[in-house]
Amino acid sequence: MEALRASAEVNGAELVRKARAGDGIAWEEIVTAFSRRIFNLAYRFTSNVEAAEDLTQEVFIRVYRSLDQYDAKQGDLANWLMRLARNLIIDDYRHRQRNPQNSMADAVDDHQYHLRAVGTGAHKEMERRELASQVQEGIDKLPADLKTCVILRDIEELTYQEIVDVLQIPEGTVKSRINRGRIELAKILRRMRVVTI
Amino acid sequence: MTKNKVVNCTAFEERLSDYLEHTVEKDVRKEMAAHALQCPLCHGLMNEVKNAIAACRQVTEPKPALTRLDAQILARTMPAAAINCDEFEAYLTDYLDGFLPANVFHRWERHAVLCDDCTDLPGEVVRSLAVLVSYKSDELPVPFGLHERIMERTLGTVRARSAKASWSDRFQEWVRGFSIPISVPQLAPVAMMTLFAFLFVSQTVSADGSLSDVYAKSYQLAEQTYEQSANVWNGKPMDAPIVNQQPIDGTATVSNTNANN
Repeated sequence: MEALRASAEVNGAELVRKARAGDGIAWEEIVTAFSRRIFNLAYRFTSNVEAAEDLTQEVFIRVYRSLDQYDAKQGDLANWLMRLARNLIIDDYRHRQRNPQNSMADAVDDHQYHLRAVGTGAHKEMERRELASQVQEGIDKLPADLKTCVILRDIEELTYQEIVDVLQIPEGTVKSRINRGRIELAKILRRMRVVTI
Repeated sequence: MTKNKVVNCTAFEERLSDYLEHTVEKDVRKEMAAHALQCPLCHGLMNEVKNAIAACRQVTEPKPALTRLDAQILARTMPAAAINCDEFEAYLTDYLDGFLPANVFHRWERHAVLCDDCTDLPGEVVRSLAVLVSYKSDELPVPFGLHERIMERTLGTVRARSAKASWSDRFQEWVRGFSIPISVPQLAPVAMMTLFAFLFVSQTVSADGSLSDVYAKSYQLAEQTYEQSANVWNGKPMDAPIVNQQPIDGTATVSNTNANN
């Protein structure tokens, strides 16, 4: 396991080295490896496919310009890249909260995107997608500060300390926001009948 | 078994279970107890079986949950020890994570049993966390064309193969791999040490403290060293005075000492 991890780190460093020198294939490999994760993270904050797409592009443009700053000794590529992505996406989310005219452009259309993405139309798959869209709707109803903490903790699975580093707030605040966010989300999902006793 | 019969080891083993369950006749029980006291092997066996039964009971019998009645009695008798709904919610994550301190734990559980508004909340939170886990695994696919747009905006082309590293860029990147092992925070002490070294050399070797004089004197010193080496090579003694040479400032002491000798 350790050897596998070390090899992944070496590969990450090698990919960055090549991409920095202008190797298109190496850069494409980085984009392919992380685009889905970053797009989904952006979608969880924006609830809007187009906004998530734009945000994902912005993240990769920023990453491409910051490749010089990547130092393999400071951590593996995934950590560095996701840290950068999280910071940008959360900054954008905060900005959208301050400027509501830019946010939640077409939440209803977005949830339909889930259904369009079903493809085969299998009943179970449909239910799964429906559930996902309801959960996203529930998350969207949380206050911004609670939503950020719940996404980072329960979906991104960051530790308390990592959340403290990303949000630059005290650990006690992080803990209490996670606690409050979970309770609020549970109450919202109960009202939506997503969670039943 | 009758009173006259003596219980042997085989009979003791056969009826051990009944003996431990208190289902044997009174007289047999007495005889078996007497045998257990006399026979260390049967005594040991009896203890082993007793311990095994106790261990099984401990595993299978769960700790009884706090009943509503117990909670009500405690709430009536110790009202000061109760917590309110806000406190209950504040401790919820700690309770689920198993970090709740013992003194709060029982009060929290009591509130969970007694409060109709809060009793379902822990279950709901656990279920919503489970829903989040399944939501997390249900990732959306990357929208069609997003990769191409990213490549276009970063590399200027959608075809990654057409973007190849130039030789100069590759060379630069290669050189970058051999970075000086002095990190930026270390540069200040290194610069200070270099400055002190220069000042020391210029004040001790150079006559007027200037950089050009340091070079000139260094050149003379190198010449002298070469001449001394050449003399040694040609068989002249090591301590022979060097003719037609002016001592260099800062090295005068050594040369003069040699001359005096």
